[in-house]
Amino acid sequence: MIKTNVIIIGGGATGCGIARDLALRGIPHCLVEKGDFAAGATGACHGLLHSGGRYAVTDPVAARECYEENLILRKIGEKCVEQTGGLFVRLPGDSKRFREVFLRGCEQVGLPAEVISASKALELVPSLNPKLEEAIRVPDCSIDPFRLCMLNIRTSELRGGIIYTRHKVTEIIQSHGRCTGIKATDQSTGEIREIHGSIIVNATGAWADMVASLAGSEVPMTLVKGALVITNHRLTDMVINRLRHPSDGDIIVPNEAVCLAGTTSLAIEDPDNLVIQSPEVDTIIGEAGRMIPHFNNTRIIRAFSGVRPLLKSKKADSHEISRGFQIIDHQNGMFSIVGGKLSTFRLMAEKMVDCIMHSFNLKKPCETADIPLDGQEELSGYPLAKRLVDMKNVVCECELVHRQDVERIIKQMATRNVGDIQHRTRLGMGPCQGGFCTFRALGIMNDMNVLSPEQSMDMLRGFLQRRFRGIRYALWGDQLREEQLVEYIYLGILAMEEKP
Amino acid sequence: MNYEHCIRCTICVENCPVFRVNPDFPGPKQAGPDAQRFRSAREKAQDEWVLLCSQCKRCEMACPCGVEPAQIILREQQRYGKEHQQTPAHLLFANNYYLSALGSLTAPLANFIAETRTGKFIFRKMGISTHLPFPEFRFRKMSREKKRLSRNARKAAFFYGCFINFYRPDIGRKIIQLLSTLNVDVVLPPQWCCGLPALGNGNLALAKYFAQKNASSLSDYIDAGYDIIYSCTSCGLCLTRDYPGILDIPQGRKIAESSYDLHEYILKLINEGYAKPQFGTVRRHIAYHIPCHLRALGIGYPLERIMAGIPGLKFEILDDACCGLSGSYGFKKENATAAIQIGSRAVSFIQKTGAESIVADCGSCRMQLGGLSGMPAFDPAEILCESLGITLEK
Amino acid sequence: MSVTEYDVVIIGAGVAGLTAGALLAGRGLKVALVTKGEPTACLSTGGIDVCSRHENPLPGIQGLPPEHPYHLVSEEVIRQSLHDFQAAMADAHLPYCGGVEKNRSILSALGTSKISCLVPSTMAAAPRNTTESIHIITFKGLKDFYPGYIVSRRRNTKFSVYDAGVSTTMSLASRFEEKEFLETFLPWMENLNIKEDRIAFPAVLGLESAAEIVRTISMRAGKPVFEIPTIPPSMPGRRLFNALKKNFRQKGGTIYWAWPVVSTEKTGSVVEAVTTVSAGRPNSINARAFILSTGSFVGGGLTATRQTILENVFHLPVHIPGARETWFDNDYFSLNHGIGKAGILADQSMRPTGADWKNVFVCGSILANTEILKNGCGHGLALATANAAAQSCAEYLSDEL
Repeated sequence: MIKTNVIIIGGGATGCGIARDLALRGIPHCLVEKGDFAAGATGACHGLLHSGGRYAVTDPVAARECYEENLILRKIGEKCVEQTGGLFVRLPGDSKRFREVFLRGCEQVGLPAEVISASKALELVPSLNPKLEEAIRVPDCSIDPFRLCMLNIRTSELRGGIIYTRHKVTEIIQSHGRCTGIKATDQSTGEIREIHGSIIVNATGAWADMVASLAGSEVPMTLVKGALVITNHRLTDMVINRLRHPSDGDIIVPNEAVCLAGTTSLAIEDPDNLVIQSPEVDTIIGEAGRMIPHFNNTRIIRAFSGVRPLLKSKKADSHEISRGFQIIDHQNGMFSIVGGKLSTFRLMAEKMVDCIMHSFNLKKPCETADIPLDGQEELSGYPLAKRLVDMKNVVCECELVHRQDVERIIKQMATRNVGDIQHRTRLGMGPCQGGFCTFRALGIMNDMNVLSPEQSMDMLRGFLQRRFRGIRYALWGDQLREEQLVEYIYLGILAMEEKP
Repeated sequence: MNYEHCIRCTICVENCPVFRVNPDFPGPKQAGPDAQRFRSAREKAQDEWVLLCSQCKRCEMACPCGVEPAQIILREQQRYGKEHQQTPAHLLFANNYYLSALGSLTAPLANFIAETRTGKFIFRKMGISTHLPFPEFRFRKMSREKKRLSRNARKAAFFYGCFINFYRPDIGRKIIQLLSTLNVDVVLPPQWCCGLPALGNGNLALAKYFAQKNASSLSDYIDAGYDIIYSCTSCGLCLTRDYPGILDIPQGRKIAESSYDLHEYILKLINEGYAKPQFGTVRRHIAYHIPCHLRALGIGYPLERIMAGIPGLKFEILDDACCGLSGSYGFKKENATAAIQIGSRAVSFIQKTGAESIVADCGSCRMQLGGLSGMPAFDPAEILCESLGITLEK
Repeated sequence: MSVTEYDVVIIGAGVAGLTAGALLAGRGLKVALVTKGEPTACLSTGGIDVCSRHENPLPGIQGLPPEHPYHLVSEEVIRQSLHDFQAAMADAHLPYCGGVEKNRSILSALGTSKISCLVPSTMAAAPRNTTESIHIITFKGLKDFYPGYIVSRRRNTKFSVYDAGVSTTMSLASRFEEKEFLETFLPWMENLNIKEDRIAFPAVLGLESAAEIVRTISMRAGKPVFEIPTIPPSMPGRRLFNALKKNFRQKGGTIYWAWPVVSTEKTGSVVEAVTTVSAGRPNSINARAFILSTGSFVGGGLTATRQTILENVFHLPVHIPGARETWFDNDYFSLNHGIGKAGILADQSMRPTGADWKNVFVCGSILANTEILKNGCGHGLALATANAAAQSCAEYLSDEL
């Protein structure tokens, strides 16, 4: 049994941001996450650190928030934010009226937006549609959402925060109508942990209503599924947006050695049952292809979807639902924080922790905007080219992950889950999507005696199955060819499915 | 670029002669399509090991997906060469044309010095390996040959290349006689180094310079109805592939379309019935080592079909191994050990055939294989001339 | 215009292409083989899988669905193709063990049992049951092989690590070809005083002389020695490819490397030539008959777009299992993925159906309804259909004369 002050349920950007803020303000806390960090919307988004431009027309408050957070994150996360810059490109047929409104909106919000000519835009991003009419340059940035969570958690760990990943909350303990703790099950061992705390923060995004119901509360939400595709390599070094009223497939973001493009919008009921459809993939490719023509023929290595947890609203077009966030005090010791977006996670966390401080009658101010993120020195970070210096002992050849890194994570986390290694190193996230390196990573685990025989095979099967979900809808052309090879390797050469 | 098509099958890696012997080179897959995803025009080239690729092109010939790893690596080699300090050896070999011209002018003296201990010491200091004797310069180089006028129906402009020009002009003369015997009139157009040594030593600008000069000269001859013939398969690959490709020469495509490998040309003449050479008996047992760049030309092995028509000639085709020298590559100190190991494998295959001598279309291959095995290494022209009873006029 | 002429042009240098080519060249025909690159066979375990659905391949084949291309080939041809293969490999110093009457298993790198029919002699000594003890010798730094997988699955398995100074499958195989290396390795191995019943290695024991090297090690150890196939770069796959190449050339065949077919010349329903672009110029080869053995998706014979599936050389109609959604099941391990059925349908004469070509024949994994992984029938099918296609082609050629 663990006793702490604040229990955070949910290890997405919001939960991790809250953990960091609490740590800096000296409040003991424990974070519990059912999967790995960034398992929900955080890990299934573009990884775009908005300049705010996208909301300049529809939601000026959100736009202003975004821009301010953009500046803050660039400052505190210097090594983990890639300052790519962004372009809003206007294609033939796109409304000039919208352009005017956009520029006015940016001006009102105080967001720097520079109009540049088509030829200048093409100079900056040679892969753009040569027919574009003009572009507006904004300070969009790109970030790896998982890494962002990790760095926030680092602060928490350094200051005594207790973190449990792969622990699913099954019960919220209540006493006289007040929440006093939780019970969570370790997904690998089945062990049940009991954690007591006087405040519970429900930062579970799309699962907020489900978790709140464990305490008899509710959080009215609209769940909107969005699909994304990932390309084999960088087609652009800048974020590319479409200069029009926000719609499907509007954004292309460079991230590490790939691009993410999306997204789509479909209301759904069950956040655990996400199915992507071929038409969604085709839509994204079609729209992205209008901004960067090579998209129509490029190799897509993965297609997946995530859920946007939005506050319930009556607006039919889900693009119009505010991206603003809301803190709900359930009056029973539990708070839920819902809505928002990746770019404003720090602000959301700040407001949440302000509430918590108020509950405890404490007055320590928030410092998360001023102190640089911990743990950045360990990052190989940008430029990408730096990783090319050492090509020896590489376990994942697509993403240049070295054996030392894999071993370090296995030791540090005492993990038996390849997913943990994958998230922290990008192992298996390149073109072959783990075809070769999974075998190697699990082999290393075997060598380090971390797995039993059954676990080893189960792990491999489980990983390949999960991996398949992400690539199944991206299987044509080169990626289909890749997949047949990987099949030949696992089912042919390695004979995974042993016949009696 | 093509690296999108890479499915990581590693067939290229299975074929790379350098990967097999040098653990510092991560192989064509990692050096090409894998690394390319991390290279950006915005960032400086960081991968020094990219210079370890010998550009033998075996990876490209093996790739089932059309990735061209060697091209990707070649471009990065140029970028690296431009952004970083060049070693003395790189500078020397890129400018081989000029230095050989100087060597040829002072031929007997230059050859003498190259063989002395002092000479070798200087080479080693510059980062040049002395595992093979340096080829000897000839004063009476090819470009000093009298140019002949054309009278026959077939006329060819002979691009002889630096090896024949500075080291073996006698072979060049044999080739001219050979073609004359087949009723082809040969002229020697004004020509310079094809540019490959510069490209192979990270000097794109110098390569382009040579290429443009050659292209202008050869273009005139093409317009006047001449076919271009090359006898060195590496020059040929450069002319037909790099001129329209990485060197981006405007007449590049024209040059490529009108250029022929010597044996490809001879076979064409025979197949068309234009030439009816009476091949006499040659009682030799030779190992025909296929130069990597001949394979890369994608024209098959025309010499094989010609030699099949020479009575008494016993030969085997060996195309499984690279000789390891790859032009100036094996002469650079950092590659010498690898070059010898690579070449030794080719030599062991040759020795297994029981042949008494080696034939290879490329001078570089002949130097290396002859040097490592101690066996005589002939240019194919020497065998063909022997069969046709052609001896050099005085 | 100079024209290069052959009786037959084979397109694709895989098991099927090289086998069909060798058969036709062996009959005295002038055969050329053109290929874009090297085949998928280079990556394989080297084993010939005939049909692993049943304990014995032949009854297994009988039980396959009626549309399976094995049914285009008589049992006699299947037997003959395997027999010919074993003879050719024996000549190439790469002997294969096993026979068409019974499947056998080799040990995989995961410690599972892989079913095959003919296996290279270097793998033949794999244990038949789980009670036999194995000692695995692996190599320091070899990142494509982990004895731990096998150790954790089988009791009675131990392993030792040798520092060979090099650590890739390619470089290890090269070193094993060197006498001096073997002479240093063998005493080290003896010093281990291995007590287990059999000794296993990742498949790096040489490239040209693997069979002999394994024999040498086995004799020195006084125990059976066997190789375990690795993930690519695969030495056994390369050995198979080299041996098939050599066999084809010895029978008089010519290979054109780096020769992707970009177009074909035809008159009526007869194909006259295939063309590539190389060294700056189109190059053609004329022939009286053509055999298409360009493989499945991995091999490059078929390409899938978002809308359809195409055959890349002759643009033959492709049997497509349905819309893109149906190409794959949700379960990765399903073995019923629709895509396994995609390919070219052939008739009894091994000519592609739905197209009118008189002189084009098809064989190998480009055929439809193979479901290679489900049925365990990769190379075996290639050998059998290559045989059938070559026969049919030869008959056509002699009829034409």
